[in-house]
Amino acid sequence: MNPIMSAHSSQIDISDLTFSYSGQGARILDIRHLSIETGERVAFIGATGTGKTTLLRLIDGRLLGWAGMVEVLGRTLSPRRAAPRSWNANIGFVFQEYALIERSTVYENVRNGRLGRTHPALSLFGIFNDRDETAITEAINDVGLADLADQRVDQLSGGQRQRVAVARCLSQEPSILIADEPVSSLDPTSAEKVLDLLRACAVARGATLLISSHQPKLVAKYVDRIIGLKQGMVAFDTAADAVTAEELGSLYGWHVTQPAA
Amino acid sequence: MQTEQSTSVRRHRTSDWSGFMVSASVGALVLWAYVASDIDTGRLAESGGRIGAFLDRMFPPDWSVLPTVVESSLETFRIALLGTAVSIVLSLILGVLAARTVTPPFIHLPLKWLLAAIRAIPLILVAMLMVGAVGLGPLPGILAIAFHSTGMLAKFYAEAIEGIPSGSLAALDSAGATWVQKLRFGAWPLVAPDLVRDTLFRFELNLREALVLGLVGAGGIGFYIQTYVRTFQYDKAATLTIVIIVFVVLIELLNHVVRAALK
Repeated sequence: MNPIMSAHSSQIDISDLTFSYSGQGARILDIRHLSIETGERVAFIGATGTGKTTLLRLIDGRLLGWAGMVEVLGRTLSPRRAAPRSWNANIGFVFQEYALIERSTVYENVRNGRLGRTHPALSLFGIFNDRDETAITEAINDVGLADLADQRVDQLSGGQRQRVAVARCLSQEPSILIADEPVSSLDPTSAEKVLDLLRACAVARGATLLISSHQPKLVAKYVDRIIGLKQGMVAFDTAADAVTAEELGSLYGWHVTQPAA
Repeated sequence: MQTEQSTSVRRHRTSDWSGFMVSASVGALVLWAYVASDIDTGRLAESGGRIGAFLDRMFPPDWSVLPTVVESSLETFRIALLGTAVSIVLSLILGVLAARTVTPPFIHLPLKWLLAAIRAIPLILVAMLMVGAVGLGPLPGILAIAFHSTGMLAKFYAEAIEGIPSGSLAALDSAGATWVQKLRFGAWPLVAPDLVRDTLFRFELNLREALVLGLVGAGGIGFYIQTYVRTFQYDKAATLTIVIIVFVVLIELLNHVVRAALK
């Protein structure tokens, strides 16, 4: 059991949320109500520009300037002020483009996931405690990169880099694990491995898993619930195995042909 | 489709015309510089004999001044080294503050203008002001080098910091890193090689520029350049020239080795 889990509930509650970038009239997000319980595995799907990444950034506490009520891990977020460091550390975010420090090693990149949990001053001199070291080692082992721990990440393949990004996120010991388009640039085999890994890690750590993706059929195998976003609004919110072709069609503008009677 | 093609061809022609205009303008500028400078090329043709006589008086070099020249060269080296060291400290602070991705516009814009203004002031003028402020010797030279090179070095540092992919720092932000941790673990590994390369380049420039500081009493070998040339002691000036060449080549070699190691 993740020790962080005992101290927090990873419930997410969003009400009457609206957001638009300054200078642009169009609403990027317009969500009346959305609730996600602890330990749920949820995929957000929808066409490009429907607000998936923006919504995930909001839950991660990195989006300001919105209106409404957002409560994550028992904290009511402020649209004007960034969340505190200790709260940030409870949410792990796997970025679409990996967002690694290219010249640093696998170990150093994974260690960066501990920065919100370790001593802020001692860490500047490379001093991390035993718990940090354990979390880093476990995360590297979990993603199967133990042999490459001392390798610079700019020498790794796309799939390996994605696994480093996942390990960095895991070393945070997050209560919520967010992955923004984690498989968009991977081949089908690597994509399934990464999704499998994300699900296994979330299950093992009791963490809530949120994934955004353009591949509804692929991610449906790894989540329990799928939320379709269209023009910033929730178009449907249903069990992963209950999404219909019509729902997907309305999301992506496909024309679904009914079989002849 | 027809319209798109027409637009494309017209743009292409406009681009060719602009290229010609730029070339013609640069050519006209060079021509103006030549005519306005009233250069008598005949004098250049007649100067061969005088240059020969000048070289004749330089050789053989007078090696008796070698200890003095080496010591004053080392003083120039020390001025460049200390000036660069002070400049690094100032540039690290100003470079971070002048980076568009780190500070808001009301901080980074005025700072960038300030750095541009510093770069625009010639070193020799700064050195003269420093001599006036703190007296003769190496100290005004060190201060002048530090001030002058901060204008360029802080700009380089700011640009290196601005080049950091925003996603890399956002990931650290998301993990709960403090501002200082983001600089230490996010920015530093990405920019360190650039900063070291830029600093070495600036040190090399500082060393060359420090050679003339002695002309205004700000220490180093410049004093002897002025003395030997003005008193027509060309054999001693030859020793000085050889020492400077050896000196600069050694620094360039060192620079080359360090830069190769950073790749």
